[in-house]
This record gives sequence, structure tokens and C-alpha cells, in this order.
Amino acid sequence: MTEQRMRRTALGPALCVVVGLACSGCVQTTVQGVRQAETQIDSGESIVILSRKHKTQGETEDDFVTCVSDSVNTGNGALPILSEGEFVDALFPWFEPRTAPLTMDDLATVIGRPLISRRIDQIGVRYLVWIEGTTERSDESGSLNCTFFSGGIPACFGFLSWESGSNYEASVWDVERGMSVGTLSSEAAGTSFVPAVVVPIPVIARVREKACSNMSDQIKTFINPDLSSPEVP
Amino acid sequence: MAASRALTLALALGTAFLGGCKGGASITVDTTVPRPLVDPIQAAMGVYIDETLKTYVHEEEDPEYGDYRIDIGASQTPVFARVFDAMFEDVVYVQRADRHDDDPSAGSTSQKTPAPDGDAEEGGSGSGVAVRFIGADGTALAVDGIIAPSIEKVQFAIPDMTGGDFYEVWIRYKLTLFDAGGNALGEWPLTGYGKANERNFGQLGKQTPALYEATTWALRDAAAELAVQFKDQVEVQDWLATLSTHGNNEGAPQ
Repeated sequence: MTEQRMRRTALGPALCVVVGLACSGCVQTTVQGVRQAETQIDSGESIVILSRKHKTQGETEDDFVTCVSDSVNTGNGALPILSEGEFVDALFPWFEPRTAPLTMDDLATVIGRPLISRRIDQIGVRYLVWIEGTTERSDESGSLNCTFFSGGIPACFGFLSWESGSNYEASVWDVERGMSVGTLSSEAAGTSFVPAVVVPIPVIARVREKACSNMSDQIKTFINPDLSSPEVP
Repeated sequence: MAASRALTLALALGTAFLGGCKGGASITVDTTVPRPLVDPIQAAMGVYIDETLKTYVHEEEDPEYGDYRIDIGASQTPVFARVFDAMFEDVVYVQRADRHDDDPSAGSTSQKTPAPDGDAEEGGSGSGVAVRFIGADGTALAVDGIIAPSIEKVQFAIPDMTGGDFYEVWIRYKLTLFDAGGNALGEWPLTGYGKANERNFGQLGKQTPALYEATTWALRDAAAELAVQFKDQVEVQDWLATLSTHGNNEGAPQ
């Protein structure tokens, strides 16, 4: 009796681990970075993560920008962040979808106005990180049918699968020096599937979360290169 | 009896479900914009915001996509006030002396708001008829000019209509500039465009918040365009030149 109880007790966590592992699909990632100039961030300076909003399609999802901002602002090597909303409000109307600088020359023109350069000094923004890209879902196949058996018991049968791909690029601008200091990219791809024999078990490839995590880590180490140095024991 | 009730309930649920599938949205946008970061023009500007603008509602009934109602009247005064207060050294809110309003909530004095088209006929550029403006308290004005915004058209689109990713809203304004004597110096269009990515919203019930966001962006875009492009208008440059002649606009506007 005691042995049976022990087996049941051990089975619960084991099942949880198996289901947990199974529910997270495999994700392949690629990160790249090109540095054009040295970077450093001083006390009192911050960075802003911004998305491009002038395009008619393929606009970066808000939650990706929020995810990157939050991740850069927390954890090991966290950097001070000013939110996108606070930044564009503080500099209204110069970073709106219609007016935001698209090139370094445009930025130089904008921050060349004394009112704007004074405001940027006040809010302490040193780097602008422009993010572009999206997560797309493709190659959906299979089908899933759900029904109610007699007695009202639901059951699903079938198999669904789809590919997801995240492809994001970030351009880092140094506002103080008025120059582009580098470009970072984060790609992630994976296959999600949902087999169902009575109970559907979704196995989701969390590509956007992985792309966000990789992009955030890259931004941290790019802005503050000391982070990538091995720690001295 | 029980069967009849069940049938009635099923029909009601079915109707509600099918009605819900049709779409449609009703939003009331009451917002403002941040104060624009621009150097103020050294002038005293009268601002005339009529009741038509303050109560503007766009309604559209589409047999395929549903009924839509976009109420943007409450946002007009806060948005224009924020922009004009930053654009000019001094701002005075004015009313038309030849109008009377029966609505006591409309302001300190009575005025019956003319339709924007009526404005154009009576005081629009080229009409040659001066419009008499007075202060909110009925006193004579001491301003360098008067500006009167009005809405000409509102349009919207949803992803089902366009096949794209965005809920979109366009607000087309007309701005009329008067000199201190109420003579129209010119008018020009101002279009605000806003969009909201449908991917930023959940699958269910996203029409209302998405249209709200798109409308908010359209108001913000119009405000940005007004603050940035105002001095590029030929009519405005001519008007500013007359102020400079009188030594009134010594500070160069940005």
C-alpha cells in the first residue's frame, strides 16, 4: 500500500516534466551583429526600443517591442530603458509615424533643432534601437475535429501542424554622436503541432519569445560589451 | 410548452450569434495629444471651434460589415487647444458674433453653430464677406489672425475590407485662416491617418479597441501634421509676412 502510494507520488511530477518538455517545440535560432562603432552607456543615460510604424504591411508587433524593452531592462546586465510611449510623447511631433527620421541624415536634421536636442538631454536618451520585422505563420496542414460524446464528454481527434518564423532586425543609433553604431538581427524558426486522441496536446514552438530573448541579450552585450567578457572567478 | 421555450431560446441565441458575426463597432474617442515641441509663433491667434466640430460623429451602415459609429467630437477641443497653445505665443478662443446658440452648454455666450460648408460660403476664401468674431465673453478681439478648423470627411477601413493587417482611419480637416478683421486669407486641407495592427489584438472583440486606437492615431497624426507643416502653407507665409511688416513676429518660427 505504501509502495503504491510512493509510485503514484513519483508519477505525478514525472508526468508533469514529460508533458512540460513535450509542450515546448524545438526552435532553431540565428543571431548576427555588425558593429560600426564603439558603444558605452554612462550613468544617467538610457536607451529606447522603437518600432517602425510607417509601413503599410509587416509592422512589428507591439508585444515584441514590449518584450525586448522589458528583457533589456531586467536580468543580468540590465540597461536603463525609456519606454517607446514616453519617448514619442516627450518629443511629439518629431517621432510620429509620419515624421520619424528614417536615416541618420534625417535624425541629424531633427536633433539639430535646439528645442529637440534640449529635450533629449533632459530625458537622457543616448541610444535609439529601431526594430523591424515580424513573426509569420506558414505551411499549416492537417485537421482537428472535436465532438461531444453521449453524456456531454468532449473529445478531439486529428493532427495539426504549422511552421512559425520570426525575423527581426535592430538598428542602433547613437543620438549623442549622431551616427549609426551597429545592426543586430535575431531569427527563430520552429514547427508547432497538435496531436489529438481524445485530448489535444499542443506542442508550440515559441519562436517569437526566443527571438525576443536573443535580441535582448544581443542589445545588452552590444551596448555594454563588458558583459560578454568571461567573469573572473 | 417546454419545447416552445427551448425553440424560442435557440432562435434568440442563434440570432444573437449571427448578429455578432456581422461585425460593427461604436466608439467614443475622448483624448488629447502631447504638447508639440515647436517654437511658438510670436502672434496672438484667435481659434474658432464650432459646435459641428465639437459634436462630430461619423456613422456608417454597411450591409456586409455592420454598423459603425465613430464619435470624435469630444477630442477636437482638447487636441486643437494643445496644438495651438504650443504653436502661438498667445491664443484666444473666439466665437462668431453673427451666430446664436440655444445650447447653454456650448459656451459662455449663445451661438448656433454653422455647418462647415456654411462657413465656407459666408466667410471662406474668395467669398469677400468678412466674418465678425468676438471674444468668448462677447468683447472685441485684439488678435493677429483667426484660425477655424472643421472636419470635411472621415473614412475608415477594417482588414476584412482591405485584406491587409490594419484597421485604418482617415480624418480630413479643412483649416481656414482669417485676418484680424475676419477676412478669409485662405484654406487648406489637413489629413490625419491612423492605423492599428490587428496582430496587436486578440481574436475576439478586437474591432472596438482596434478602431479606437486607429482613430486616436489619426487625431495624433493630424495634430503632428498641423504643428510641423503649418508654416509651409503659402497663406500662412503671406500672413506671417504681414505680421513681420508690423514688427509683430520678431522671433523666427521654427
